[in-house]
Amino acid sequence: MPARPYAGRRAALLAALLFSGAAAAQPTERCAPCHGPDGNSATPGIPSIAAQPKVFIENLLILVREGLRGSEAMKQVMKGMSDREIVALAAHYAKLPARAAAGKADPAMLERGRKAAARYRCGSCHLPDFRGREQIPRLAGQREEYLYDIMHSFRDAPPPGSDTLMSAALYGVSDADIRAMAHFLARR
Amino acid sequence: MSKCTIAALLLVAFGSAQAQNKPAPPPAWQQGRPASMADSKLAPHAGKNTETPASEIPIDKLKLPKGFKAEIWATGIPGGRAMARGDKGKIYVGTRIIGRVYEVTDHGDKRTARVLVDKLTQPAGVAFQDGSLYVMAIDKVLRYDGIEGNPNAQPVDLTKAFNLPPQQHHNWKYITFGPDKKLYVPFGGPCNICEPPPEYSQIRRYNPDGSGMEVIARGMRNSLGFDWHPKTGEFWFVDQGRDWMGDKGPQEELNRLSKHGQFFGFPYCHNNDIADPDFKKAKPCEGVTKPVALLGPHASALGTKFYSGDMFPAEYKNTLFVARKGSWNRTKKFGYDVVNVRVSADGKSAKVTPFLTGFLDAKEEKFWGRPAYLLQMPDGALLVSDEQLGAIYRISYSGGKKK
Repeated sequence: MPARPYAGRRAALLAALLFSGAAAAQPTERCAPCHGPDGNSATPGIPSIAAQPKVFIENLLILVREGLRGSEAMKQVMKGMSDREIVALAAHYAKLPARAAAGKADPAMLERGRKAAARYRCGSCHLPDFRGREQIPRLAGQREEYLYDIMHSFRDAPPPGSDTLMSAALYGVSDADIRAMAHFLARR
Repeated sequence: MSKCTIAALLLVAFGSAQAQNKPAPPPAWQQGRPASMADSKLAPHAGKNTETPASEIPIDKLKLPKGFKAEIWATGIPGGRAMARGDKGKIYVGTRIIGRVYEVTDHGDKRTARVLVDKLTQPAGVAFQDGSLYVMAIDKVLRYDGIEGNPNAQPVDLTKAFNLPPQQHHNWKYITFGPDKKLYVPFGGPCNICEPPPEYSQIRRYNPDGSGMEVIARGMRNSLGFDWHPKTGEFWFVDQGRDWMGDKGPQEELNRLSKHGQFFGFPYCHNNDIADPDFKKAKPCEGVTKPVALLGPHASALGTKFYSGDMFPAEYKNTLFVARKGSWNRTKKFGYDVVNVRVSADGKSAKVTPFLTGFLDAKEEKFWGRPAYLLQMPDGALLVSDEQLGAIYRISYSGGKKK
């Protein structure tokens, strides 16, 4: 199995949705086609952005706009967006409720994920209920395959513009533990 | 915690396929966390990558000694840290995560900022000499010749000559030219606490073209501010103390290099004879040069400047200012200010006094700004960068004569 099974699919999807997004008049209309009208993504590989901490959304979107982070498609969507628009977007999505849409849980995987998350102290920064805070993202209810992809990416190929912390946090964590944590966190 | 942490960190840098079979080290900022603090929720504070308009900066909350005044000098430079002034008066400002270097132009009644270069990996180091701007990111060194007169000047890439090591943590830079016209560059320990590989935990100087590298000081953890004593010409520097040893410290240090090659203790010995609990050795503080002053626990001492101007009262001449960006690894926030240090030229009888305060509401445990770096202007005013709000404040003295 490739390290990031959904990455290619995600890029294709984003590219397909890009045209309608970039032409939209309201900034939220640029986000909705992929991330869902209420910020809860129904699209594999695309993260949910509802209930993410405001500062996290702001900082990440600035880095995407600057060309430091994110897919090519996201960089295109963000091109030319002002700080003011980004702050407004972040405030908007931070207030929307998260609606976890993960499928049926595998009890063994859930338990392994719970233990791994405790062992690696995810809750220390992301808080014990994984709702995130300030610059630290919400993990609870995030799409499972997205969590899996992003953790892989931090572990194996940290993107420029990322702090050194998450790479260090995931250093040496096995694929199986990452898979289990993604399974567990998606269902919090 | 052991040497294998360092080996492990190096493996990360080279993306080793075997990495998954090694035990996971804790994240760099968690290394050395004792069992008693295992459940601590202390984490670094969020930076802000967006612009903050002047109208949202509560400048009136700042407090200074009588006769001094603080005003907003420039805004719109998110993440702005160290400042370097060009020969013609432009100010260049480095950043970390946002990856930009700004150029600030003074129009007299107002200042404008533009992004000179972006997409760099933490280009925190900026220095100016002989008409050229030097920019140092973690993995890149660029020189812009004649940039003040030619906004489109293309950089000369000096990266190869400087031979920067691969570790990122604590290796964003503060750089400046010394009286010897050489470029001084710190290489922090790539961890909270560890036995660093040989190319880290040191301060070096280079010829401006990257040749002639010399290590001038060793045994520092993370030194991101330094200056030369106006009378003796000696090199003085701050060093940030380690995390996860509790609220009391170890404290940030102010050090004086009286002889090249001195060793300042990291990771075995902190402050005045505090042995490290994780990295032990016999007589850990033997041969260690002791600090001139302690600058407070976890205070994040950064910008360090001797004041040589004529605007401030005479008692400030040749004293030192240090910006303390403020703590995260402490249950009660500390720092978030600029202090004045009075100390004899040989480093005796240091006295640390708060100078610029008001960024922190100690009762509410909330801060609004984080003073990071200092720049003395030709008229003697002191510029203070606020990394949190992407602004520069100007501190001036009129003795109450005029507003």
